[in-house]
Amino acid sequence: MRRIYESNALHRDDEEAHAPSEKERPTKLQALRSVPSSTLSDLLIPRRLRHLPVSVAVETPEDEYGVGEPVPFTVTLRNRLPLPISIPTVSPLLWEWTVDGNVEAAEVPIRDPPDEEGTLSFDRGERKEFRKRWDQLFRVSEREWEPADAGSHTIGVAVNATDAETRGLTDETTVRIVR
Amino acid sequence: MALLEVKDLTVRFYTQEGVVTAVDDLSYRIEKGEKFGVVGESGAGKSVTALSVLRLIDSPGRIESGEILFKGQDLLEMSESEIRSIRGNEISMIFQDAQTALNPVYTVGGQIAEAIEHHLDYSSKEAKARTIQLLDRVGIPEAEERFSDYPHEFSGGMQQRAIIAMALSCDPDLIVADEPTTALDVTIEAQILDELRELADEFDTAIQLITHDLGVIAEVCDRVMVMYAGKPVEKAPVEELYYDPKHPYTVGLMSSIPRVNDKRDRLQTIPGVMPDLVELPSGCSFHPRCPFAEEKCTRTEPPLTDVDSGEEATLGTEHSAACLEYTEGLSQGLTYSVETTGPADGAAAQYVDGDRDE
Repeated sequence: MRRIYESNALHRDDEEAHAPSEKERPTKLQALRSVPSSTLSDLLIPRRLRHLPVSVAVETPEDEYGVGEPVPFTVTLRNRLPLPISIPTVSPLLWEWTVDGNVEAAEVPIRDPPDEEGTLSFDRGERKEFRKRWDQLFRVSEREWEPADAGSHTIGVAVNATDAETRGLTDETTVRIVR
Repeated sequence: MALLEVKDLTVRFYTQEGVVTAVDDLSYRIEKGEKFGVVGESGAGKSVTALSVLRLIDSPGRIESGEILFKGQDLLEMSESEIRSIRGNEISMIFQDAQTALNPVYTVGGQIAEAIEHHLDYSSKEAKARTIQLLDRVGIPEAEERFSDYPHEFSGGMQQRAIIAMALSCDPDLIVADEPTTALDVTIEAQILDELRELADEFDTAIQLITHDLGVIAEVCDRVMVMYAGKPVEKAPVEELYYDPKHPYTVGLMSSIPRVNDKRDRLQTIPGVMPDLVELPSGCSFHPRCPFAEEKCTRTEPPLTDVDSGEEATLGTEHSAACLEYTEGLSQGLTYSVETTGPADGAAAQYVDGDRDE
């Protein structure tokens, strides 16, 4: 098979001013090698300490919502260190939100993530913000949803890591649904 | 035995924002020599479905569950070397963008011949002869001379033809064509579709044609599956889908096709956009855009149902749709109508939505 470098498409000439030369460069490249800082951080910072600079927060714009009104909320995950950090998670599902302890407001399991480790990676000082919405419905079976009762409901967020709660990788907020 | 049977296929992508369920519980069947169309908007999961058939889903995507039976063998259970012997040989793919699919540093002929040499054990001389024959068959002029041209020396239409020649090179039983004509102008599109149809008839090859153009489907396919937000919403023979669509989304797609003899001032469109697959709406995923949606559509997700019997659809169901109208029934029903104009053979159908959204 003919390769592109055998095609003589590029004309090289040491004498000609506008053609690339045939000579090899006499000096070595002087550019500074870049440091793979996230790999370095993974090597230097022990796993048990990696959660320390990471904060998790969930907030809603208001405390009270009318019945049937969608409840928007913002999830903020932040790395306070000026170094990249990666937190190992128990599955490729990196974090999850719950309503009254039900994952994504579903009373039935909605998915079964594969049994392998994932990584929640932060750049230095990175802040990740996700906007979500709970439409005041609970999924009660694979195909059925039911409206939430009036009263207080807790929206929680947790990084899907082992001992997330004791390591401070969770947060929650309460909203009231009023008639 | 069907050529390809996809059963309860679920493909998910684990991203930072959440889990994208690109294909959710999808089942379909393609018979030998059949031309099967998959249609839907961008992001409906059509391409992911196609890539799953060839097991080409890359990280962070995963085929989480389901079976893909090709001639009775589950492709998902096969080893990497077994699947490689099927890819390009028994199942081949025509990718969306021919320029990206071709390797720029190898000659076009060399790339086609490589597949023939690898799968059919031809000598390089025999492979070259067959490649030239194939290039000629797909309408590349002076095929012998163009054999050693690089992809950049081909026009867009010629590159697409070369990809079709590559797909046909090993006489596959199934060609998965992922929007093969999207990057081309309409005249070339018509030529390529004609060629694809002729070649498929000649070699008795089945085609899974993915497109967002219903006109292309009408031209080429025998049966169609309409997808929305990763799920099939309607499956039907092509004539029935055009003249008796059962799902509001299909009706919306049909009514948004511009027609020359159309008397309406404005083209009807489906309001809104496809939902974010990370956060699907509750109940029927189409309810926020559906002019016939009722409260129960927000609470219950309709299964794919046989539109005649009202029972849950199976792989063998002729015409099925996923709308509560066919299970529990909507209180005001689906009030659209289909008007056909012109002579019966070349009739054009017009879709008039109900006025409940006004």
